[in-house]
Amino acid sequence: MSTPFVIETHELSKTYKNVHALQSLNLKVQQNSIFGFLGPNGAGKTTTIKLMLGLIRPTAGKASIFGMDTIRQSVDIRARVGYLPQEPHFYEYMTARETLRFVAGCFFKGPKKAIEERIDEMLELVDLTDKADRPIKTFSGGERQRLGIAQAQVNYPDLLILDEPAASLDPLGRRDVLELMSKLRKYTTVFYSTHILDDVQRVSDTVVILNKGQLVAQGPIEELLARSEGIVYIVHLKGEVEAARKQVLVQPWVSGIVAGQHNGESAWQVSVSDPQAAEMQLLKLLVDGPVVVTEFRRKQYELEDVFMQVIEGGSNVRK
Amino acid sequence: MSGNSAFQLVSERCWRRGLGSMLKSEMSRWWKTRMWWVQCLIWAGILGFLLGAILFSSQDAPPSTEVAVIYAVFAGLFPAVGVVIIMQGTIVGEKKDGTAAWALSKPITRPAFLISKVIANSLGVLVTMVIVPGVIAFTMQALALRTPWTLPGFLAGLSVVFLSDFYFLSLTLMLGAFFSNRGPVIGIALGVLFLQQYLVGMLPFLRYVLPWNLMIPLGQPEDAVIPCLLVGSHNYSTILIAVIALESLLFIVIGLWRFSREEF
Repeated sequence: MSTPFVIETHELSKTYKNVHALQSLNLKVQQNSIFGFLGPNGAGKTTTIKLMLGLIRPTAGKASIFGMDTIRQSVDIRARVGYLPQEPHFYEYMTARETLRFVAGCFFKGPKKAIEERIDEMLELVDLTDKADRPIKTFSGGERQRLGIAQAQVNYPDLLILDEPAASLDPLGRRDVLELMSKLRKYTTVFYSTHILDDVQRVSDTVVILNKGQLVAQGPIEELLARSEGIVYIVHLKGEVEAARKQVLVQPWVSGIVAGQHNGESAWQVSVSDPQAAEMQLLKLLVDGPVVVTEFRRKQYELEDVFMQVIEGGSNVRK
Repeated sequence: MSGNSAFQLVSERCWRRGLGSMLKSEMSRWWKTRMWWVQCLIWAGILGFLLGAILFSSQDAPPSTEVAVIYAVFAGLFPAVGVVIIMQGTIVGEKKDGTAAWALSKPITRPAFLISKVIANSLGVLVTMVIVPGVIAFTMQALALRTPWTLPGFLAGLSVVFLSDFYFLSLTLMLGAFFSNRGPVIGIALGVLFLQQYLVGMLPFLRYVLPWNLMIPLGQPEDAVIPCLLVGSHNYSTILIAVIALESLLFIVIGLWRFSREEF
C-alpha cells in the first residue's frame, strides 16, 4: 500500500501503570523530510520511537510506517528502517567491523566483497576506520555514538530513526551528523529526536514539540516561528520618548508597547496587528517626531522562543 | 534509499527472520572469544582432577560402578551450575544493558532471538562442558579400570549428561524471559538444582519430574540413569529421560511465549 506519509500515528497512547507516557499522539511524517521531534526529558520521545519499532505495544491508538501496521508488520517495517538508540549498546565481544557485519547480515546477503566495501564505507563515514578492529568494550561514548550512526545506515534505510543522535558528540561531531542528515534527505526520511534546538532549526523541515506525553506544537519551522507571539518591532530611541509613545499607541494597528531601558536609551517592543501598516508607517511616525531612532528592526523569533512558550505555557498536564 | 544492486534481501521468513545473523553472533560469542577454552579448561580440569584422584590414588582400581556414579555426580551436577551462571546473563543481561532492544530493532523476530541463544549455548555447553571433559574421563577410566565402560554405553551416558545440562539451560532461559533481574533467575535455577534431593525426599513422585535421578542414585548405587548407561545396566527409568526432555522443551515454549510479550 502506498501512502504519501512515511509515518502516521492515530491517537497513539502508552501508559505504564498509572503514568501516561504518551497521550493521543497524531503525527504525519512526509517522505524525504527531516522531521525534528522535540521535547524536554521525559516528554515521551523515546516511547514514541519504541512504539514505532514494535519494541513496546501501544495502550491505545495505532501507528503505521510505510503504510504497514507497527504491531502486525513490525519485522517488515524494521527491514526498511535504520535506528540509532539514545544510548547505543552493542555486543561488547564484537569489534566495530563485526558489529556492522552483524547488522548488514540482518538485512541483506550478497558477495562478501561488496558487503565488506559497504562496511568500510560506513566506517569511513563516521571516522572509525582506524578503530574498526578494536573490541567495542574499549570505545568511548562518542565512538559508540558514531558506530551507532554507521550501523543505522548500513542497510540503506528508507527511514532513519535517530534518538538524540548528537547527544554524546563534540561540536565537530555534531556538525558532521547534521551535514550527513542533510545529505541523506535525498534518499531517505529522517525522523530524529533531540533537545538541541539549534540543530533542529538548522536542518529540520518539520518539527513536533512534545511535552508530558502530549503534542503541543507541530508544523514546518517557518510556520511555528511565525505563529509565536505575533509581529513585534524592536525600537531603540532617545529624546521626547513619552510623547512619541502616546503618538504610537493611538495608531489602530498598534496593539501594545513594552518599554524598557538599554544602554541609557529607551528600548521598546511594539506589538502590531497589521504588519503592512507597521512596515509603512511606524518608522516614519517616529522619525518625524521628537525622538532620535538608534535601532529599528522586526523581531526574529528563534525556535527556542517557541519551545519555551509551549513548554512553559503549562496547558498540557499529565493526568 | 539507493541500495546496492549486488545485495539481495535475506530470504528467511516468518519466525526464522534474523535467525541466521543472530546464530552467527551467538556462535561468535562462544567460539571467537576465550569463552570456549576457559570453559573447557574449567570442566575438564575439575573432572580430570577428581576422577584422577579416585582412579589413580590407590593400587587397586575402584569398581566400575563406583567410578560411574562419581562421574555422573561430577559431570552432571557441577557443570549445571556453570550452565545456570552462563544462561542467567544471556537474556536478563541483554534486557538490562539494552542490547536485546538494539538487536530487536533490526529485522529479527523474537523467537529467532531466543532460539539462536538456545542453539548456540547448547552447542557451547555440549562441546566444552560435556564432550571435552567426557573424552578425558573416558580415556582415564579406560586406562585405570579392569572392566572399562563400553563406547556405546559411554556415548549414551554422555547424551544424558547433556540432557541434564539442557534442562537447566532451558529453565534458566525461561526464567530470564520472565524476570528483569538476575537475582530471581539464578536463585530459582540454583534452588531447583540443589534442593532436588530434599524435594524428591519429601515428594517421591518428583523423582520422575526433576533431573536428580539422572545423575544421583536414590536407592541402589546403579539406579541412576547415567551410571546405569555407563556400566551397561538396564535398571533405570526411561520415563524420567522422556519427562526431562519434554520439560526442557516446555520451558523453551513458555520462554518464547513470555518473551513475545516483553517490552523493551
